[in-house]
Amino acid sequence: MNQALFEQLALSGLAVTLLVGLAAWASIAKSAAPLDDARARRILGEEFPGKKLDGLWVAVDGMGALARSGGMALVLCRLGDGFVARQIPWARALAASFKDGRISIDLTDVAAPKAVIALPSWPPTGPQEQAPTKDWAA
Amino acid sequence: MKTFDPVTLATPLFILTVIAEILLARFRVVKANYETRDTAASLVMGLFSTLSSLPVAGLTVAAGLWAYQHRVFTISMSSPVAWVAIFFLEDVTYYGFHRLSHERRLWWASHVNHHSSQHYNLSTALRQTWTGGVAGTWLLWIPLSLMGFPPAMVAIEKGISLVYQYWIHTEAIRRMPRWFEAVFNTPSHHRVHHARNPRYLDKNYAGILIIWDRMLGTFQPELDEEAPRYGLVHNLGTFNPLRVAFHEWIAISQDIVRSPRHALGWLFGPPGWSPDGSRDTSASLKAQWAARQEAPPERESVLVP
Repeated sequence: MNQALFEQLALSGLAVTLLVGLAAWASIAKSAAPLDDARARRILGEEFPGKKLDGLWVAVDGMGALARSGGMALVLCRLGDGFVARQIPWARALAASFKDGRISIDLTDVAAPKAVIALPSWPPTGPQEQAPTKDWAA
Repeated sequence: MKTFDPVTLATPLFILTVIAEILLARFRVVKANYETRDTAASLVMGLFSTLSSLPVAGLTVAAGLWAYQHRVFTISMSSPVAWVAIFFLEDVTYYGFHRLSHERRLWWASHVNHHSSQHYNLSTALRQTWTGGVAGTWLLWIPLSLMGFPPAMVAIEKGISLVYQYWIHTEAIRRMPRWFEAVFNTPSHHRVHHARNPRYLDKNYAGILIIWDRMLGTFQPELDEEAPRYGLVHNLGTFNPLRVAFHEWIAISQDIVRSPRHALGWLFGPPGWSPDGSRDTSASLKAQWAARQEAPPERESVLVP
């Protein structure tokens, strides 16, 4: 690596560090209020327009939510001051591991491999939360 | 040999204006949101994008020089008319490159990282690709050298276009004067381009002049009633620059391994293409959105445990 390129990289690295520090100091991220029921529904409505929710579980820390829509699970997870959403088969969500009050869902997506959502218990009980019928899964 | 590189020259301006945007937002003079890890990811992407282009730099320069040696005309860099001509020709070439980068997955894989932030601020402008050289889109500019424009002239004009596009990555400027909005790419037009709202997908591919979008049917004005939501249709679940840079390449590879007989579709179909149509493309998302606009509103049916 020649000297000029090395100096340019070093100075750029310093500038990046300063700018990131400035951004952290400024505290100007978007509002990051914890999810509640209404907000989770609104965001799910934006992410999955037209999908009916048959059940909704909001994380106890407000950092995510999980909803059932027919044979699919709609997963919402906080990332920074935004959210990441994916839909997976409901059966996979039901089978997700639950440990220390957190459900860890494999999203099988290289861009968003895993979602971790704090819930009081998992899997849920009740008729609408059980495995989907064939009609729903179609 | 010293060369004139608009991007290198503008780098101090990039740094100073990011500082200015953060400070002005901090003191509520302008609208801007910066999330620390998102900002770090954008700036690291920008920092290493220069390095990542080095492996193919020799090839791109050699290809430009070869084309120039086989030029049809000889165009002087000292001619003002030539600069006017290269301005328009480079800009329409950029439009084509940018449209290709959104509408075909092979090239989207390289460009997607620029759209992967859920923010729209000046640091987003610096979230540049690491795989542009490999994607080969630089070939699109070779015809300019074949026509007779010196490769240095093409490179300078490309740099000018890149520097121009920097300042439009901001929410701090709402609208420019009407005549300016009519002719040039602006923060408002480019906010639409970075939005993931179905109505705004695959619109406003312009570099400097928005006239190409207006002429070729891809123009969409920013609407007061629909604020842009930034990022990808399926946002990334990470700030890791390596994953930002390579996730779509990996996804393409996984798809090809899973279903090799559809390799051409996975590579050259639109982003979201799948053999069975089970995934969403921009076109299908737009169609679903349009259908929802025409359908009567349904009663909400949500069960909350």
